[in-house]
Amino acid sequence: MPKSNWRAGVNRRTLVKSGAALAAAQFASPFVIRARAADAVKIGLDNPLTGTYAGPGKNELVGCQMALDEINAKGGILGRPVELLVEDSSSGDAGTAVQKARKLIEGDKVDFLLGNVNSALALAMAQVSNEKGILHIVPGGHTDAITGASCHWNVFRVCNTTQMEAAAVCAALVKEYGKKFYYITPDYAFGHTLESGMVKAAGALGGERVGGDLAPLGAVDFSSYLIKAQAANPDVIVFLVQGDDMLNAMKQAVQFGLQNKVHLAGAQQEMEPLEGLPPEARIGTWVLEWYWNQPGVPHVAEFVEATKKRTGRVPTARTWFGYLSVWTCALAAAKANSLKAVDMAKALQDFHLPSEIALGPNPAFYRAGQNQLLASLFVGNAQPSGSAPDDLFHVTDVVNGAAIASSVEESGCKMTWPT
Amino acid sequence: MTQVVLFNVFNGLIVGAFYALMALGLSLILNLSGVINFAHGGFLALGAYLAYTLIPYIGFWGALIVAPPLTAALGLVVEWLLIRPLYGKDPLYGLLLTFGLAYIFEDVTRLIWGAQSVPFQVPGWLMTSLSSQLFFITGYRVFMVIIVTAAVGGLFAVLKYTRLGMRIRAGTRDLDTVSTLGVNVRVLRSLNFGIGIYMAGLAGVLAAGLLGLSPTIGANLIMPSFVAIIVGGLGSLLGTLLGGLMIGVASGLAAVYFPSATEAVIYVMMGLVLLVRPRGLLGEEGRLH
Repeated sequence: MPKSNWRAGVNRRTLVKSGAALAAAQFASPFVIRARAADAVKIGLDNPLTGTYAGPGKNELVGCQMALDEINAKGGILGRPVELLVEDSSSGDAGTAVQKARKLIEGDKVDFLLGNVNSALALAMAQVSNEKGILHIVPGGHTDAITGASCHWNVFRVCNTTQMEAAAVCAALVKEYGKKFYYITPDYAFGHTLESGMVKAAGALGGERVGGDLAPLGAVDFSSYLIKAQAANPDVIVFLVQGDDMLNAMKQAVQFGLQNKVHLAGAQQEMEPLEGLPPEARIGTWVLEWYWNQPGVPHVAEFVEATKKRTGRVPTARTWFGYLSVWTCALAAAKANSLKAVDMAKALQDFHLPSEIALGPNPAFYRAGQNQLLASLFVGNAQPSGSAPDDLFHVTDVVNGAAIASSVEESGCKMTWPT
Repeated sequence: MTQVVLFNVFNGLIVGAFYALMALGLSLILNLSGVINFAHGGFLALGAYLAYTLIPYIGFWGALIVAPPLTAALGLVVEWLLIRPLYGKDPLYGLLLTFGLAYIFEDVTRLIWGAQSVPFQVPGWLMTSLSSQLFFITGYRVFMVIIVTAAVGGLFAVLKYTRLGMRIRAGTRDLDTVSTLGVNVRVLRSLNFGIGIYMAGLAGVLAAGLLGLSPTIGANLIMPSFVAIIVGGLGSLLGTLLGGLMIGVASGLAAVYFPSATEAVIYVMMGLVLLVRPRGLLGEEGRLH
């Protein structure tokens, strides 16, 4: 008989004890960057560190850390040192994101809340931050509603709206490739609003939606969608999927040789999937929200060098989102000379960021009445390699966000302030 | 429209073959050891990342040959240290352990290779399509089907014609008697686990050519494997193979008629099977009671 050198079975007491330990671990300290000081200003980052969005989440975290170090080197916020408390929101579980947000606000008493990469999670967290009256910066959640129909006085967003991304890229697509578009769209809030933004913007230029598919988030195999797309005979297959889904879809599309029959393009693209694609699949027309290679634009090179020193790679748009988000907290407190959320939110209305944080050719400012950052969008083509190993994108046009954003009324944002 | 349907069915078979490879490894481990290996996806990811690391030194073909046995070796270590104490116990313990292992593997790969996806290069000549019409039948997918067929054929040959295979098959029926007859059951289980993990590692190398390689690559593929086993039938390897093919085709057809349900449809199938014929298509009654 096989010799068993372990106690037979796990007894109930052990199970109960381990269950209690597991529950207690949920309320343990978050991962704190910097030793706790009693009078520190606390910024809570509730963002994905695991799952599909771990890549962008990690880069946003790096950007936050870089800003944190700079702020502390300059004396902190209102003379007090700043701490970053980091929690993993998961990539798709709104319950976890909300639970962590509550923990950061009620338990850790953060002065600012940051997050989330996932638009749906950002919206859920915004409910909590609004209920608690905490200043909330959304670095990289794109769905329009965050500064649109579901806008709140305390919620500010750094990245572009899906409407702006669509407007920026559509003109290029219609002009260069043709009018018939087939959409492959991720089936959640971000995807839906991005597709409707694209259909609207393309429609205004004579573009036509010849078909489309909603793909579940995290879909692994896109071959069936690509088969359908090709059968519809479009001029462009528009990939609206993001992250790993984008990677899978593009990799498979290029394996099928589809780029020889139709144009492959999309709206939002990011460095993270481009870096993960094999070189032959780095093709297509896209819009990036920030790019590291901006010759002639002041301060960008220093930011790129600082990031390379820290991570060995160039900064991505996500790095910049995190960086700008944490700096927004510091600058808002400085301008309001207070940590009260209402004062800081009022200070941020039409607030222009200094060029060493805006890091782009156009001014970057939070539009009053909407709390949406308007900056620059970089339209161009992915390329296998360029002037440098990380130069994976050839910018053809830098669009001024302020010029293409829909009006505050059109966005559906009706902001009410606490009395 | 018929063409789209036919293409999707055919493509579904190709994708299903891949699911079957992963599910077979899982089924092998489940049948003999009664362990529900939730970490199977983690081993798949490890196999893929090992191949990615080896490619610059020994090329794609070298990595294809070396990475799966390396993964299997790691599987043997895990089996010896962690899984062995759980044999004969409630399958729930194995599930809990491997569930935790899955998270550990994901975070370890994230720690070593980074959270972002990494580019996985497949030889260029495999990337071309068979024809302009049948563009979805790429050289790589054909190659994948060949590998899967060889692996499955090899597995069935081992099980049918070798002594080890005979003992594994006997062990899935009655392990106690096999042990009484003098077979070293500990070694048998280890080898069986190793074979299962070898298939996970092989599936990983193949997957990395098809999909983006990121730490979550295994997590997305583990559930279809379980569904394939349940649909095809617990205890039957042939059933698992059929189950894999069926869910591939179902997913492909769903893409034609109900595109946002390509993932949901496999769970609907699982639900139907559990309602109508709980042991699965070719499964044996009373497995895992």
